[in-house]
Amino acid sequence: MIETGYFQVLAAAALAALAFILAKVKSIPVEKDIAFGSVRAFIQLIAVGYALEFIFKLESLWLITLAVAIMIVVASYTASQRLPKSKRPFAVSLIAITAGSVITLVLMLLLGIITVEARYIIPLSGMIISNAMNGGAVAFDRIGSDLKANRLAVETSLALGKNWREASNRFYRMAIKAGMISILNFLKTVGIVALPGAMTGMILAGASPLDAVLIQLVVGYMLLSAVTITTIISAELAIRQYFNKAEQFTG
Amino acid sequence: MSCQNEIILKVDNVHRAVKKNGTTVNTVDGISYTFNKGTIYNIVGPSGAGKSSFLRLLNRLDDPTLGEIYFHEKLITLYPPTELRKKISMLFQTPYLFEGTVRENLKYCCQHDDKTIAEILSRVGLKPEFADKQAEDISGGERQRVALARALLLNPVILLLDEPTASLDPTLSQSIERLILELTKNFCLTTIIVTHDPDQARRLGGNTLLLVAGRLIESGPTDIVLNNPTTDSARRYLNRELI
Ligand SMILES: Nc1ncnc2c1ncn2[C@@H]1O[C@H](COP(=O)(O)OP(=O)(O)OP(=O)(O)O)[C@@H](O)[C@H]1O
Ligand SMILES: [Mg+2]
Repeated sequence: MIETGYFQVLAAAALAALAFILAKVKSIPVEKDIAFGSVRAFIQLIAVGYALEFIFKLESLWLITLAVAIMIVVASYTASQRLPKSKRPFAVSLIAITAGSVITLVLMLLLGIITVEARYIIPLSGMIISNAMNGGAVAFDRIGSDLKANRLAVETSLALGKNWREASNRFYRMAIKAGMISILNFLKTVGIVALPGAMTGMILAGASPLDAVLIQLVVGYMLLSAVTITTIISAELAIRQYFNKAEQFTG
Repeated sequence: MSCQNEIILKVDNVHRAVKKNGTTVNTVDGISYTFNKGTIYNIVGPSGAGKSSFLRLLNRLDDPTLGEIYFHEKLITLYPPTELRKKISMLFQTPYLFEGTVRENLKYCCQHDDKTIAEILSRVGLKPEFADKQAEDISGGERQRVALARALLLNPVILLLDEPTASLDPTLSQSIERLILELTKNFCLTTIIVTHDPDQARRLGGNTLLLVAGRLIESGPTDIVLNNPTTDSARRYLNRELI
């Protein structure tokens, strides 16, 4: 591939224009989203590019931490949309995503897989946090809809003298499984159905495929850990919000 | 019948408010009543009167927004909820069976042995082989009886039944009624049963509580409440709905 510069990006914008025209011709109501999304992606990514350049140059631990914190807050807010307002969704997802990402990152540092350098921490955090966010969001969704649909089942258990945990355990486990489906499918098909982003990027940038694969394996295991931790904590904290101290289902 | 002199449950000025289309309504509106041991209580009243809502307060599936409930002269909030619900067992208006066999459903609370399970099945008019049926393959009436059996296996002191014979034919209904009468007599069980059928209330005897719009408007011995109601709204309801 030719070295990528602003000219190549503008040329690639022709592809976005093609998508726009197709949508317009077929009157699919997404033209606005396409136009807005393309421009938004451009501005967002260029801004992030400059911010990262800045952070990488400074190598300040404070800045790295701040960047990770911002990512976590935005991800928590996004995941929190998937749980009713009354269930303290932001606090729940903030705890879950922070735990999943920080534990995973710290373990990678302790195991000597990475060092405290912006070029490791920032991109890996991005992957970790966005995957953790999706796992948590799916678990929230599942708990909300399952408990609502199975109120009678839950209250039958409670009426038979079971505590809230026993009454909801089935839905707790299903929610965790649902939150992890995506990362589990990823591990199953990685390299066969899709070349993941990190690997594609490295190969495009000229790294040898074997090096790219090794990094991808590290990334895969890392994501598995982060998603599992975040999804379990999300489900655990979310499901508690549906019960009170008197073992009553509060909807 | 000496056990009947003992007070088992006391409900004192109990309210339950819920939000309905933005406004707050009392589905249970200031009910006070004393229940004795070994007695049957029929709860009657029009649809939406708050009968089910009232039952849910007694085993703490919900808490009153105002008022107190005492079980054995102790506030029900002082018992661990899981223990209270085993002593005050409830059969829902639309019973739910868990996925799996009838046996698994009956073992759900306390892992009873197969002999006990066969026994309880026969008491609700089902054959022992019935235990191996899949819960999703049985009829509405069978479902109701399995759920009743499951509630009885908790060995409760008070049994809360929300229209337990609604989907049963007259013969089966009456066999369930006989079972309730027998448990009341032999084990001094207290039964609080919601029913739409005045004849059922008469057959069960005991006392009857008439609820209208969340209020207890009439209560006393079943015959008196059903035949000589004292209030106008009770008479109206009994003429239109029950008789
Ligand atoms: N969780 C709730 N939220 C809002 N309204 C409720 C709730 N539960 C019950 N209600 C309302 O409270 C009223 C009483 O309901 P309840 O089910 O107790 O009546 P019922 O006497 O058992 O009626 P039925 O004979 O039809 O079973 C109804 O108007 C119902 O719509
Ligand atoms: Mg009802």
